[in-house]
Amino acid sequence: MAESASYTEKLKRWDRFKAEKFSKKAPVTTPYPFIDIEKPPEYRGIPHINPEKCIGCGACVNACPPDALIMEWDKEHGVKRLTYNAARCIRCARCIEVCPTGAMEPTTRFEVATDNKEDLVEVVEHKLAYCEECGEYLDFTERQIEYVRNILPKDVFDAYALEDRIKLTQEEKMRRTVIKLRETEGNVYPAFMLVRETKDDGGEE
Amino acid sequence: MVNTKDLEAHFEFECKACENGRCAKADVNSILSERKGLRDFYEAFKEHIKGCKRMTYGQYQFVIDREVLPEAVLWWHNHPEFKETHLSTAVGTDERPLNGHFVYMPFLNVQVEFANEPENYWVFLRTYLLADDPSFPSVAEKLPAALWIEREVKDLLGFKPVNHPDPRRLILPEDWPEGVYPLRKDMDYRHSPITEPKVEFKEKPEDTTLVPMGPAHMGIEEPAHFRLFVKGEEIVDVDYRGFYSHRGIEKTGEGRLTYNQVLFLAERICGICGYQHSVSYAMAVERLADVDIPDRARYIRTLLLELERIHNHLLWVGIAAHMVGYDTGFMHAWRIREPVMWLVERLTGNRKQYGMNIVGGVRRDILDYRKEEILKVVKQIREGTKTFLDVALNTNTFIKRAEGVGILPYKVAKAYSVLGPTARASGRKIDVRKDQAVKTATAYNEIDFKVPVYKEGDVLARVLVRMDELFESLWMVEQLIDQMPGGDIMVPIGKLPEYEEALGFTEAHRGEVVHYVMTGEKNKVYRWKVRAPTYNNLPAVPEMLKGYHVADAPLIIASIDPCYSCTERVQFVDVNTGKVKVLTEAEFNELSIKYKGVF
Ligand code: SF4
Ligand code: SF4
Repeated sequence: MAESASYTEKLKRWDRFKAEKFSKKAPVTTPYPFIDIEKPPEYRGIPHINPEKCIGCGACVNACPPDALIMEWDKEHGVKRLTYNAARCIRCARCIEVCPTGAMEPTTRFEVATDNKEDLVEVVEHKLAYCEECGEYLDFTERQIEYVRNILPKDVFDAYALEDRIKLTQEEKMRRTVIKLRETEGNVYPAFMLVRETKDDGGEE
Repeated sequence: MVNTKDLEAHFEFECKACENGRCAKADVNSILSERKGLRDFYEAFKEHIKGCKRMTYGQYQFVIDREVLPEAVLWWHNHPEFKETHLSTAVGTDERPLNGHFVYMPFLNVQVEFANEPENYWVFLRTYLLADDPSFPSVAEKLPAALWIEREVKDLLGFKPVNHPDPRRLILPEDWPEGVYPLRKDMDYRHSPITEPKVEFKEKPEDTTLVPMGPAHMGIEEPAHFRLFVKGEEIVDVDYRGFYSHRGIEKTGEGRLTYNQVLFLAERICGICGYQHSVSYAMAVERLADVDIPDRARYIRTLLLELERIHNHLLWVGIAAHMVGYDTGFMHAWRIREPVMWLVERLTGNRKQYGMNIVGGVRRDILDYRKEEILKVVKQIREGTKTFLDVALNTNTFIKRAEGVGILPYKVAKAYSVLGPTARASGRKIDVRKDQAVKTATAYNEIDFKVPVYKEGDVLARVLVRMDELFESLWMVEQLIDQMPGGDIMVPIGKLPEYEEALGFTEAHRGEVVHYVMTGEKNKVYRWKVRAPTYNNLPAVPEMLKGYHVADAPLIIASIDPCYSCTERVQFVDVNTGKVKVLTEAEFNELSIKYKGVF
């Protein structure tokens, strides 16, 4: 029965004196660290990144006040790396609030003391998507593109012709737009595109 | 000195916000007639006033010539009618990137009448200083409340208070080079130069013996260095050197972080009154964004503020008992306190650093069934404290040490702008919760409470004031639970206006906390100034110590409830040999620079 209880029910039932597992109950003090301390379910412990859910969007990095989360791009190897450092974390849970996929998971862990600093770090690496045209790596991860595909309604996709364009670099997108404009409207495009176009052509041929 | 009149700053009368929201049309006459005293000030300093505006509800700003600064500050501070008006603090800003000048801006909390929220106001006196000669006449010469404030802007911005009575270093460490000013905008926040340390201590008066106390003293768990000059047992004079745990938080908050990130930094200024800082900061930004936060959020904030006050006063009374050697009292006070910590842990997610605020409201709701639990804890605390006080106040060890010790006369309290319970124990009737318009962020205007004031000014009075306040807080919590409205708990904030200023404030357990925020571009903060109450209370401690015994010193110092922060020590243990190596100062500095960014 206990498993099926709602979260609020669980919160209601939690009792400090029942949860703490020491045989001789003292009313105030606790023989910590010789016993396990259980924190209440509301406790804000250090967060944990679920690598299966994370899409590498970086929303958590932008929200994190003390830079405990860092995002790095390695375009040579096509990797986007999200690093979480518990030593810097102030446990504010902002990252959990802003994560769109629920990959940032709250925990009630509070003990981070360790003799090896590497224990404090979590790293999630993502494959970057690459351009279908030129093969260069994009700024986004493959999962990000996948995620966008899933959440955007189909008519938005069609309206902006995203299916064709989503996996292209910025330059490639621009070039295609210009080509399309030229096809549909003859030669009426703004001067700045014209300049870019001729330059690009000159470079390639 | 060059006159401000020579400056080319753009001066015009402008109004930013009306009582009922924003308006661009209000003229100076209607601003001046809004509150008592504004017009008198204008008449008295007419030639020297270059501008006046309302920053936000109940906050007025005058742009004045810097040469009349002392007179202007004293005009307000010594106002014959507004008795409890005090110099809150001053902000120094490097506005060279904006208009080519430095800005020095003292501000005062003007109390027209006690607890008359719509009448009282804040007045800011903005002066422009020249970029190549940032000097201004010292206010500290005539008003001791400005002593630290002016030393601070001298340290951090390189301003020159002319004729300052004690122009030694206050904030920067001894090994910081001359002529490097961390709060100037052209300095990067990571830059941390070191030179040879140079120590400046006060001269020892004739025929006295020096008793150093601190920087690490087991009685006051805070790195503060008091140098007591004693004749026999009696303390004749005192020198103070502090700021060992200065972290440069204001600098970090400026420029690098967004306004919501600064909020969490603000909460970490203090380990004890963190939520007060958080609310103050949020209040300042909400004023700037001009939003009304939902009632439920205001109530939840107030509830947590009061719970924080309750556990804090219990903590403090425990420390005070410990200081006089009455350790039973210490244990009991902390035992009574612990359930509050447990309660807030369940309400917010942590014992301290609640992380409950966000600009525009709060992050967690208080679930309805929790109300019972809160009321249960409140009842328990009330009974516990009553019993405790019965015992403690009938214990001679306690009374004999506290009564008539560390007297702070009303006049001195006022001259130093002492705040909070320390001031109220000396007969100052002030409390920002009632005095100023806190209603935009908290719900104090809708609940009933009394402000206890004692006249004795000794340590015992400070104990009693705090204990009375504690019972008021318990009563407030009960009211808040009773009246808690439903609805949303936050509103989203859009873009912040650029280069606007506002003040946020709360009455922490030690006195008024103020956060001054000036916005920059792109939702960043251009200037963020924090003033914790201990900043105003500590300079008065030497005055309290004079004439008492060395043995009373820790108790007197603790009686203002100084903000505790942690002393840090780095020790390296070689695992193979088991030898302990204590780092020298230079090695330590080297290491901390090398590993910056790792921790
Ligand atoms: S916000 Fe969530 S999905 Fe995005 S990078 Fe962070 S953890 Fe991953
Ligand atoms: S909990 Fe706060 S500090 Fe820690 S990683 Fe998340 S946002 Fe950063």
